Amino acid sequence: MNPKTQKEFIFIGVVLAILVGSAVLNVLLVSDISDSVAQNDGAVPAGAYVVHVVGHQWSWDFYSPNGSLTVNTFTVPVNTQVALIVNSSDVIHDLAIPELGIQVYAVPGMNNTVVFEATHTGSFYFDCVEYCGELHYEMRGTLQVVSQ
Amino acid sequence: MDTYYAFMVDLSVVLAIVFVIIFLAVYYIYSRKSEIVNAADKVGYENPSQFMRDTLSNRPRFLSLSVFLNDDAKSIGIRYLMASIFFFFIAGTFGLTMRLNLTVPNPTLLSAEEYNVLMSEHATIMIYMWALGAAFAFAYYLLPSHLRVTRDSRGLYSSVGFWLWFVGGLLVLYSRTSARWYLYPPLSLQLTASGGGVYNWIDVIGLESVFFGIMITSLNVIMIIWKDRNPEIKWSGLTLFTWAILFTAIMIIASAPPIMVGLAMLFYDFFNPIFFTGASHEVLLFAILFWFWGHPIVYVAVIPYFGLMYEIIPKFTGKPIYSYSSGVIGLALLLVLSEFVWGHHLLNSGLGVGWVLFFSTASFAVVIPSAITVFNYVASLWEAEKVRLTTPMLFVINGVVDFIIGGITGVMQSNQGINQIVHGTYFVTGHFHFIFMGITTGISFAAFYMLFPTISNGRTYNVLLARIHFYLTAVGSLIMAGAWTLGGLIGMPRAVAGYASQFQFYQDVSILGGIIIGIGQLFFLYNIAISWTKEPSLKVGNALEEINPLEVSE
Repeated sequence: MNPKTQKEFIFIGVVLAILVGSAVLNVLLVSDISDSVAQNDGAVPAGAYVVHVVGHQWSWDFYSPNGSLTVNTFTVPVNTQVALIVNSSDVIHDLAIPELGIQVYAVPGMNNTVVFEATHTGSFYFDCVEYCGELHYEMRGTLQVVSQ
Repeated sequence: MDTYYAFMVDLSVVLAIVFVIIFLAVYYIYSRKSEIVNAADKVGYENPSQFMRDTLSNRPRFLSLSVFLNDDAKSIGIRYLMASIFFFFIAGTFGLTMRLNLTVPNPTLLSAEEYNVLMSEHATIMIYMWALGAAFAFAYYLLPSHLRVTRDSRGLYSSVGFWLWFVGGLLVLYSRTSARWYLYPPLSLQLTASGGGVYNWIDVIGLESVFFGIMITSLNVIMIIWKDRNPEIKWSGLTLFTWAILFTAIMIIASAPPIMVGLAMLFYDFFNPIFFTGASHEVLLFAILFWFWGHPIVYVAVIPYFGLMYEIIPKFTGKPIYSYSSGVIGLALLLVLSEFVWGHHLLNSGLGVGWVLFFSTASFAVVIPSAITVFNYVASLWEAEKVRLTTPMLFVINGVVDFIIGGITGVMQSNQGINQIVHGTYFVTGHFHFIFMGITTGISFAAFYMLFPTISNGRTYNVLLARIHFYLTAVGSLIMAGAWTLGGLIGMPRAVAGYASQFQFYQDVSILGGIIIGIGQLFFLYNIAISWTKEPSLKVGNALEEINPLEVSE
């Protein structure tokens, strides 16, 4: 093997090691956070605080477990498993809560489920990150995490 | 009655004059053409335009209208170059206008509706008309020289491919679509100004026309490489640029049919919604068809430019590229692996954990060929005793740097934890603008500057203005895409006509970058304009067209 090829193989070996490492880490991470990966008709853990979310042009409707409706804002208890069941009444939307690392598409005809647990109280910004028409940019609000 | 009569007389006189003019023009063109056809036939040329190019020193020139009448491969190349630069400046102006509209959190210059039209048009035009158009331009212009083609026999088909693509682009512009380049139904089926745009159906027709055009062109390019090349050139003797174009064309033909069918289904849905909305609907089906094409297209927009970089580097280092075989293997692997990653655009759409595991792992794998390619560039520069930092070379070096940044920010998104934060944010916009500005746009300019003496009949461009153009483009895109990437990390959503106030800093910095890029392009236009008024001073002949590395004068 000439020295040029040798150098190339060393480089490819290093890149491969990094990539395989990252890919394995990602697989471990996904199995760890699999609840927070959006899943159509996903399982809702027992005792979870279930919020039904409906996206429409151009606001978010949140139905808390007791059935009350809030628009572009909702409240969940801290240190409790929260399940969001997300649907859309018109076009595709995407609910993202960046600080909690939660993101789920709102697709007409699908009930996408994500489960998360907020570990501290406060208000968290969320918005729609899938373009959905004229006032797409106004589909934003805050999530309040309150103590139980 | 009198006025009616007078009007009819006027009309017939005008029509008669128009007919006479058309008759004379057609007669003139065809009599000239038959002379040339006869002359070409005598010396054994099948394509009269090629005969004119070879024997009458009638080289196809940039900014010349005769390239639209001649259909030899080099004229077609110049056609594509002129058309793609035309569309680049239109879509670039749209982009800059969008930036200026985001100075403060609420829309200023334009309404949200108008902003959404500009955003959709900017993306569609830049991808289909600029990235693909410029790639075909260099393919048609350089391949006959790289392959020493003696028989230019695909003029008619190439011309048909060009016009379908070009008219499709004009229809896309005319449609004023606001459904984004994804065209996700049900939004794209809402024919209202606040939904997908009143004339969004024209966008679907225009795109279908663009697709037929690029399919024909890709087949032509494959046939030129496979059948028309000089028999002395073996497969192992193809230039890396030829390989890159071959892989690009294969990729287009392999990936475009699903979205062509998808667009036809979408068009049917305008009248009778049965596929993507309505009772038996499967909304995400279109997204799947789209990304099956949509992901390969973003590689289509870089692979030809990787090929050009392989051709440009040896001209200024004076040494051949580090490793020819790993160059070919890298590009071939990129072709294969990039067909397996399209699902990563839908990781959070509810398709589940299995989908995420497959496509995120595949997205890590697609880095391998990119790493091989980048290693080849860096090693070629490293091994050179002296690198001549001409303007094209500066664009290439900037392209490598931008590709490394864009590649790392790209592979970061394969991590599902990061993906759930940055998907749909400006992080993604920043990631691909690094690549589209550094590779697609930058390398196009590099190749344009290298070809400038040939396509202008021996004129030289002003070196200082070209340098200013380079530095402003490079610095501007670094600032713009950098600000987006950082803003995206804290969740700044993309495709928005307004934004929450905490993102204003990142938006304003990116506006600064956008303005710097815009000013840079004015230097480019000014450079062409003043260079065109100068007398030709060089013998025509160009290093980028030769197979062996030659001395290049800047």
